[in-house]
Amino acid sequence: MIDQAPILIIVVPLMCAFLTPILGQLNKKLCYFWVVSALTASVVFSVITLQVVLKSGAIHYYLGNWAPPWGIEYVIDHLNALMLVLVSSVALLVAIYSKKSVEQEVSGKTAFYTVFLLQVVGFLGIVITGDLFNLYVFLEIASLAGYGLIAAGEKGALIASFRYIIMGTVGACFYLLGVGYLYMVTGSLNIADLANILPDLYSSKVVLVAFAFFMVGIAIKMALFPLHVWLPDAYTRAPSSASALLAPLMTKVSIYVMIRIIFTVFKPCFSIETLPVAKIMVWVGIAAIIAGAIMALAQTDFKRMLCYIIVAEVGYMVGGIGLANPIAIKGAILHLLNDAVMTLGLFLVAGIITYKLKSHTLSDFHACFRKIPLTMIAFVIFALSIIGVPPTGGFFSKWYLIQGAVIAQNWSFVVVLLGSSLINVILFFRIIEIGYVFHDSDQNHSHGEKKITINEAPFSMLVPTLTVAISIILIGIYNQEIVKNIIQFAVPEL
Amino acid sequence: MKLISLVIVLITGAILIYGTMDMPDWGDPDSPASLHVSPRYITKTLEETATPNMVTSVLADYRGYDTLGETTVIFTAGMVCILLLRSLGGKISKLDT
Amino acid sequence: MFDFIVSKYNYWMYIVLMMIGFYAMIGKNNLVKKIIGMNIFQTAIILFFVSIACKKGGATLPIIKHAHGAEHAIKVSHYLNPLPHVLMLTAIVVMVATLGVAIAIIIKIYREYGTLEENEILRKLK
Repeated sequence: MIDQAPILIIVVPLMCAFLTPILGQLNKKLCYFWVVSALTASVVFSVITLQVVLKSGAIHYYLGNWAPPWGIEYVIDHLNALMLVLVSSVALLVAIYSKKSVEQEVSGKTAFYTVFLLQVVGFLGIVITGDLFNLYVFLEIASLAGYGLIAAGEKGALIASFRYIIMGTVGACFYLLGVGYLYMVTGSLNIADLANILPDLYSSKVVLVAFAFFMVGIAIKMALFPLHVWLPDAYTRAPSSASALLAPLMTKVSIYVMIRIIFTVFKPCFSIETLPVAKIMVWVGIAAIIAGAIMALAQTDFKRMLCYIIVAEVGYMVGGIGLANPIAIKGAILHLLNDAVMTLGLFLVAGIITYKLKSHTLSDFHACFRKIPLTMIAFVIFALSIIGVPPTGGFFSKWYLIQGAVIAQNWSFVVVLLGSSLINVILFFRIIEIGYVFHDSDQNHSHGEKKITINEAPFSMLVPTLTVAISIILIGIYNQEIVKNIIQFAVPEL
Repeated sequence: MKLISLVIVLITGAILIYGTMDMPDWGDPDSPASLHVSPRYITKTLEETATPNMVTSVLADYRGYDTLGETTVIFTAGMVCILLLRSLGGKISKLDT
Repeated sequence: MFDFIVSKYNYWMYIVLMMIGFYAMIGKNNLVKKIIGMNIFQTAIILFFVSIACKKGGATLPIIKHAHGAEHAIKVSHYLNPLPHVLMLTAIVVMVATLGVAIAIIIKIYREYGTLEENEILRKLK
C-alpha cells in the first residue's frame, strides 16, 4: 500500500470524479460527501508520501513499470512532496467549505463537484509528474476545469472565462512548442533524462528558444505582471468556492513548474549564469509587486482587491527565485507555502461574506465585526500574515526574501518589498475600519438604531476558515522546522 | 490594438524562426529524435507488447498514462459543457438585464 | 544556401501558420474568429510535431510489415518515429476539448448578450 501511495494520490480522486455523475443521479447530496472523502484519501496518501520522502529521499515511481525515458515516471522529491500535501489539503478544506456556497451560487451541483475534483486531479498531476508531456496533459485538465468553474460564476463570468481560455491556450501552446523544440534536439521527454542530455546543447539556438517559450507560457499561467490581465476578472466573477480553489493553487502550481524548469530541466549554470533570466525575473517581480499593490489600492471590490494582491505575491516569489541565492529561494519556496494558505484564507473569508451579504464590495463590510465576529478574527489573522507581522507565516518568508535580497545586494527589491507591506497595511486596515463601523451613516437617527445581531457563518464554512487561520500561525511558529526538514532539500544546488 | 498584436506576432514568429536555424534537417534519419528514445519502440514493439502497430503500442502501453490523461481531458470538457449548458432553459435573449 | 532553405522551409511554413492563428487569437474582435485562430495555432503545432517524426530514405508507416510471417530484422531506419504521432493524438484530443469548452461558453455568451463582438459585450457589461 505504501509503495503505491504516489499513484493513489491521483488515482483515487480521478476515479471518484468518473463516478461522481453516476452518484449524482442517485442522490445529489451524496456528491459533497463523496468529494470530501476522495480528497481526504488524497491528503492521507500525500502525507504518507511526504513521510517516505523525508525518511528515504526521492521516490521514483514507474507507471506501467516501463523504465524512465521510454515510459512515464513520477519523481517525488522534497519540493514535490511538500506541494502535494499543500495542494491536496487546500483542496480538501475548500471542498469541506463549499457545501453551502455551492448550494447558493451554482445550479448544476453534480457537474460542479465533478469538475472540482478534476481540477484537483489536474493540479496534483502537474506537481507529481516527471515527464514534460505528461505535465502538459495535466496542465490542460487543470485549465479546462478552471475555465468551466470560472464560467459558472456570476454576471460577467462568461466573458472573463473566455478571455482566460484565449490567454490560457496561448500559454499552453507556448509550453507545447517548448516541449517540441526540446524533443527535436534531444529526443526525450523525461525531465531527468533531459537534464542529462541538455548540458551538451546549451549553445544551441533551439534550446534557447525552447527555454524562452517555456518561460512565457508558464508566466501566462501564473499571471506574472504584464500577462496577468486575465486573472482579476476571472477570479472575481467565479463562484466563491471555485475562486477559493483556483486562486491559491493555479499560480502556485505554475510557480512550481517554473522552479522545475529553471533548476531541474535546465541547470542553474544555464538559466542563471549564461542568460540574463535571473535579472529579468527580479525586475519583472519588482514591477509585478508595484503594479499589484497600486492596482489593489484602487479597487472597491474585495475579491478584486485580493486578485491584485495575488499579482503582487507572484512578484515576490518570481523575484525571490530570480535573486538566485539559496536563502532567497528558500524564502520563495516558503512563501509559496505561506501564500497559498493566506490567499486560501482570504478567499474563504470573501466567500463567507458573499454568502452572508450577497455581495463582495468593500462598502458592504459595515459592522462585519459584530455580524460575523469569528470570521473577521480569522480575516485579521490573514491580513496580518499578508502584511508580514510575526508570528504569522507571512513574516518569516518575507524575512528570508529580504535577507536573500540583501545578500544579492539588490536594494530595489528590498525597498519594494517593504513598500508593498506598507501598502498592504493601508489596504487591510481600511477594511478593518469599515468593519468596525456599527452605525449606518445614511439612516442613523431617523430610523432609530437598527440592532445588529451576530449572524455567524454556517459551521461547514467556519471550520475550514478557522483551521486555515490556525495553520498560518502554526506555519509561522514551526517555520524553522519546515525549512530545516523539507525546504532545505528542495533548494537546488547553485 | 491591432498594431500591437501584429508586433507581438511578428516578434514571436521571428524568435521561433531563429530557433529553427540549429534544428536538424527535415527528414534527417540521424536526428536526435530518431536516435534516442524511439528506436526501442520500433525494434522491441513485437517482442514487448506483441503489437505490430507501434503507435498503438506506445499509446496504450509505453505511454498509456498519457492516454488516461487524454480521456480525462475529454471527460472534463464534457462535464464543463454540462455544467454550463444544462441550466440554459428556453430563454434566448435577456439583453437588457 | 539552397540546401539550407530546403531543409528548413517546412518548419517555417508551420511557424507562419502558427502566427496566423496567434494573430487571430489576440488581434481579432469577434469571439468565433478568436477560436478559429486558436484552432489554426494548435493544428500548426500538430503539423510541426508530426514533421519531427519524418525520416527520409524509404522509411514507412510505423506498422511492422509481415509481423506474423517470416522473421526478419527490424531496422530503425525503416519506420517513422512513432512517438510524435502518439503525442499528437493526445494533443488533438486536448484541442478538441478546448474547442468544445470555448464553444459552450460562446453559446452562453450569445444567449446572454446577443452579440459576439468583444467590445460590444464589454460595453453591455458596464
